[in-house]
Amino acid sequence: MNKFIKKYKPFTRSGMLGLIAFRANFICFLIGESLYCFIMYYVWRAVMESSPNPTFMGFTMQDMVLYLFITFLSGYFTYSSSSGAIGEEITDGSIAMRMIKPISYDISFLFQEIGEKIILLSLVFVPIVVGVECYRYYVTGAIQFSPYTFLLYIISLIFAYLVSFYFNICYGFLAFFLKNLWGSNVLKSVIVSFLSGATIPLAFLPLGLRNVLQFLPFASLSYTPVMIYMGKYQGAQLLISFGLQIFWVFCMWAISRLIWRAAIKRLSVQGG
Amino acid sequence: MLKTLRLYRIFVSQNMKKLMEYKIDFLTGAVGFFLNQIINIAFLWIIFSNIPNLKGWNFNEIIFIYGFSLIPKGLDHLMTDNLWKVGYFYVRKGEFDKYLIRPVNPLYHVIIEDFQVDAFGEIILGIILLASAIEKLHIPADPMRYVLIIIAVPFAMLIFTSLKIGTSAIAFWTKRSGDITHMLYMTNDFAKYPTTIYSSFVRNFITYILPFAFTAFYPADYFLTGNNPLFNIGGTVIAALVLFGISYFIWTKGIKAYESAGS
Repeated sequence: MNKFIKKYKPFTRSGMLGLIAFRANFICFLIGESLYCFIMYYVWRAVMESSPNPTFMGFTMQDMVLYLFITFLSGYFTYSSSSGAIGEEITDGSIAMRMIKPISYDISFLFQEIGEKIILLSLVFVPIVVGVECYRYYVTGAIQFSPYTFLLYIISLIFAYLVSFYFNICYGFLAFFLKNLWGSNVLKSVIVSFLSGATIPLAFLPLGLRNVLQFLPFASLSYTPVMIYMGKYQGAQLLISFGLQIFWVFCMWAISRLIWRAAIKRLSVQGG
Repeated sequence: MLKTLRLYRIFVSQNMKKLMEYKIDFLTGAVGFFLNQIINIAFLWIIFSNIPNLKGWNFNEIIFIYGFSLIPKGLDHLMTDNLWKVGYFYVRKGEFDKYLIRPVNPLYHVIIEDFQVDAFGEIILGIILLASAIEKLHIPADPMRYVLIIIAVPFAMLIFTSLKIGTSAIAFWTKRSGDITHMLYMTNDFAKYPTTIYSSFVRNFITYILPFAFTAFYPADYFLTGNNPLFNIGGTVIAALVLFGISYFIWTKGIKAYESAGS
């Protein structure tokens, strides 16, 4: 175990340093991305004011604010750039450098990303969670934060990240066959963000569609952790969602192994 | 002037050749873009099927504003996308040198070098949404409204372009400013909805500081209601010209401060 940590620690360090080097740029980028949440906040406020009921399809204004910001936050934590990085390494041939070293291909990526997530924790996680909890306190007049729910959310987020990571590894390996991936990356992120409930909360979709989507791996990516944070999943449903997340982590991992075996035989590095 | 136009044509045809090489990749990307917009519109539709109107605006009016917002944005995306690279790469890597040693205005050269065909997705979708909204809304057949809203389009586009010129120019001092451009550019999404839904701070900000509200809501408001042409359309023209003046000033100052990378 010690040896294992020693072997992969440099990857974590390099991930952290990579993000720290560009922190000012990254903060600007994040502010730009988060504007969407603020726009939707105003849209939802207007919707609630125009709605004949104080709730919208079972969601109160407080729920919507939580949904918007926690989805944004979870998106950053479960985001995995592994597919893009693999595609790039395959196209430019630098994948060969990773393959000649005595390390596991996917685990080296995983540890590099863990390094980035540690930095993200201070840049994004703390400000958003504190902001959202202050808002809840301001609206309800009581502290709504529950360490128990929060712990469940973190666990769910870790599973979500692993599903995302192995899904993106699978997808990145497709570059072995396709070589060029810009267009399909756009298409992929649109489809994933719809299926995972990040664009439209799954609860707003027609019942039949919702039931199907809840069992697909994509709901485990974003919708499940957000619902847990909001306290909408309790008891048996909580257990089922955790079970599904674990099931999908395992599935995605197994598929990535299979593709890796098929792909490695076809790899041709052009030039050097 | 003739030389300028001829150069533009040559650069566009070069870009078309590049595009043809990656046809399938481009088409997949276009499908992705369309799907994303369709999902967004479906979301609006879900919202509107549960409320009578949004602060007095109905579904078709919101679709009109949304559709209109895509057109100036798409035109800017089509023609001046290369400005992003100034802030992200050209200055930092010293590649900006090449624009300074040719007998063309550097700003013009940067702009014509790229022709982003993906933007047709936005423009076409914008036109489809406008057409379907106009058909369902009963807009009075007032030719003035059509003339003025068409006049507003190039100026609304200039607001986008000016913002990109001014913020990319920051890179001449800081080496990299693409993320600043991104941060301010994203503010444009506020203009997709009526400004009456925002708090007065946000409303004033997108009207007087970063005048994105003039790229979509204000011109659309004039077209839909016929109110305040002086503010809604005249404001668009003035905002665009003022912003362009400021941006071009920063750009020319920046070029003087530019130091190439030492490699």
